Amino acid sequence: MSKIVEGGRSTRRNFLQGATATAGLLSLVPSFVMRPRAAQAATLADVHIEAAKAAKELAAGRSVTLTIMQPSGSLGNVKPVADRFTAETGIAVNYLEVPLGEINQKVLLEAVSKTGAFDIALPATFGIPDLAESGILVNMDQYAIKYEPAGFQDDALYSIGDYYKGSFYGYQTDGDTYVMFYNKDWLDNVDEKKGFADKHGYDLKVPDTWEELDAMMAWFHRPDKGMYGGALFRTQYFLAWEWWGRFHAKGFYPLDDDLNPQINNAGGVAALEEMLAASKHLYPGARTNGLFENFEAFGAGDKFADIGWGGTQKFLNSDKSKLKGRMAFGSMPGGMVDGKLLKTPYFNWGWNYVVSSISKEPEIAYLFTLYACSPAMSTIAVRDPDGYFDPFRGAHYEDAEIIKTYSPEFLAVHRESMRGSIPDLYLKGQGEYFDELRVNLGAADAGTKSAKAALDDTAKAWERITRRMGNRSQKVQWAFLKSSYPADIRSRLS
Amino acid sequence: MTTQGVDGPHPSQEQGWSRYLPRFNILLVLPAQLTMMVVVVVPTLIILWLAITDWQPTQAIAWFKAEPIWFWNFYDLWYDSRFTNAVLRTLFVVAVCVSIELGLALGLALLFLDEWPWRRVAVSVIILPMMIIPVDAANAFFMLFNERGPINHLVSLVIGSPYEFSWLSHPTWAMAPIMLAEIWQWTPLMFLLVLTGLMNLPQNQVRAAIVLGASPARIFFKIMLPLLLPVISIALLIRSIETFKIFDPVYILTRGQPGGATETISMFMYNGAFVYFRMGYIAAAALLVLVVVISICLVLARPMTRHG
Repeated sequence: MSKIVEGGRSTRRNFLQGATATAGLLSLVPSFVMRPRAAQAATLADVHIEAAKAAKELAAGRSVTLTIMQPSGSLGNVKPVADRFTAETGIAVNYLEVPLGEINQKVLLEAVSKTGAFDIALPATFGIPDLAESGILVNMDQYAIKYEPAGFQDDALYSIGDYYKGSFYGYQTDGDTYVMFYNKDWLDNVDEKKGFADKHGYDLKVPDTWEELDAMMAWFHRPDKGMYGGALFRTQYFLAWEWWGRFHAKGFYPLDDDLNPQINNAGGVAALEEMLAASKHLYPGARTNGLFENFEAFGAGDKFADIGWGGTQKFLNSDKSKLKGRMAFGSMPGGMVDGKLLKTPYFNWGWNYVVSSISKEPEIAYLFTLYACSPAMSTIAVRDPDGYFDPFRGAHYEDAEIIKTYSPEFLAVHRESMRGSIPDLYLKGQGEYFDELRVNLGAADAGTKSAKAALDDTAKAWERITRRMGNRSQKVQWAFLKSSYPADIRSRLS
Repeated sequence: MTTQGVDGPHPSQEQGWSRYLPRFNILLVLPAQLTMMVVVVVPTLIILWLAITDWQPTQAIAWFKAEPIWFWNFYDLWYDSRFTNAVLRTLFVVAVCVSIELGLALGLALLFLDEWPWRRVAVSVIILPMMIIPVDAANAFFMLFNERGPINHLVSLVIGSPYEFSWLSHPTWAMAPIMLAEIWQWTPLMFLLVLTGLMNLPQNQVRAAIVLGASPARIFFKIMLPLLLPVISIALLIRSIETFKIFDPVYILTRGQPGGATETISMFMYNGAFVYFRMGYIAAAALLVLVVVISICLVLARPMTRHG
């Protein structure tokens, strides 16, 4: 059954429907839509076997070594799968570890230096457009047509970031959707429930909207008693992601069809003002602590709410956390648009397996990525409790080890969130767009700019970036990206 | 055919040698010149070229094939408030840090001018901070100024109630820990330079002044300080250039946050060049910054030129 029936999630079929409706987009209909999937011999269950077999045939007894450039900390996810690949094919795999925050830059530098240092890389998903434009990534449409079994991408819960301007550039291998974490003891406390309901006129429960979340954080924020409303990020790097969710929940796309920024409209300003007001109810370290400090801060058990990814849950569900087994979960809150709840879960990170255009063995490298992202092998990768990869395929949610690592309650919310996630701003220059947004939101949070001025300045900067990146080229990708938003959300955004 | 006499080479032969001497000299200096060409001239020419293009690796073309946009980068920089603010902020940091470092260095150097027990050990202790890797030093200051770090703890003890001020995320105060880290680490260098200068001052004038009954303050301001001026100028020059490039403490403590309030020119250029790969734009920014730095150097070098 197609995903459009399952949950209204965007699929390539949706894209085809959207594209055909727009004459200007007809030329964009990507090759993957027309892939002769039925002709593929492999099935989802044995795709790893077929991929290994094909790789072995291509190697044809030669001594082939693939080098993978991966972010530090992900070896636990990559190596068990690579070891199996080597055992099945005789193809050796080397590892080139680079700092987590620098991998996209390292891959991009390869476009200039062309050293051939790696065959496969694991960049962050939001960097794919820049990497694709630089020419360092292999456009893998033809390989996918040749090797990908039917339903392979439909089985992945989120694959929007795998494509740029309709072409396929690499498999998503990490389910990095934003999820909310709540202190269940506080949420279930009878006295708190009564007090909150008396004050606000609705129940204290996992919040549906940002407005409800903000009210709950304000309710629990009692620093004199060592209780804090939340541990949500206020460091510049993370700041924009929360605002992105709040803004979309107001019912708007960040850009209109002509790429004019909409971020500084009334909805954007309101979303920022609400976020700034909520900052008062966060713990003192919210503005300085990074990712791992955030895990520990919420794990201390003295805060009501936190935002994070599967990695956050791996920590919070471990013995290092005081909240193990004492949490409630929710997808990112939404907003009321035209009197109806609009929820916009958000996929804001993720890692994609991509193939370097400098690689001497691009087809074997592609086959490795297909092998690594197959249901069977990716389950092994996601099992690593200390790695980065979070569930992203149906099979992962049924694996006993993965369930134990994440907990069934978390996985239920995560799966739902993955299925309906909106994408990041996958445009060329994503980093620059977001840097301007982050700096200006940071200035608003620090009180040096008003919400309106911060967003106006961002909008002006975005116009300059778009002009520099090439308006026509950006429009093509933006049209594609808009068509990739989940169908039920797409119909509510303007 | 000529023969060489006992008194030296034949005049015609000498003329022959000297004819080749200029070429030989060129051969001798050629390796150094070629090295200079490669490490200075070529990169400078590349920067000049990039500054008039908008080249980025994402354009999928080689840098030398980039299309010139002439002076648009400079025009954009003029209206880029982040750039102008970063330059002004850096100048402010240079002025404050170098002034404080000089004041502290002068005071310490005067203390260490005379021999006293454990003087050498004390000098070693004072110069220790500059031996520390800048990233580690910055990290120590990050810990110190954390919400629950020793500084806030100390304040809590003094005022008798919990104090959790967010130094590093306050738009006004975030720069203070960065500047403190810089001053703490590099005052020792200034101290060493000034102490060396003081120890090498001609003693005759000082002795004469003492004999004539001049006060220590008068001796310092009227004799020692003017004589020390060339050394101070060099110290100021070195430290100003170095402080202008301040990066490690900014990167470790705030990364330019909050809202760009601590973004110095190095941080701005790092982000532009190595995070967003705006090579053309940042090359133009680098050229403008070079003009600013050279202007400062010329001003600071004036006392030295006066002293010949």
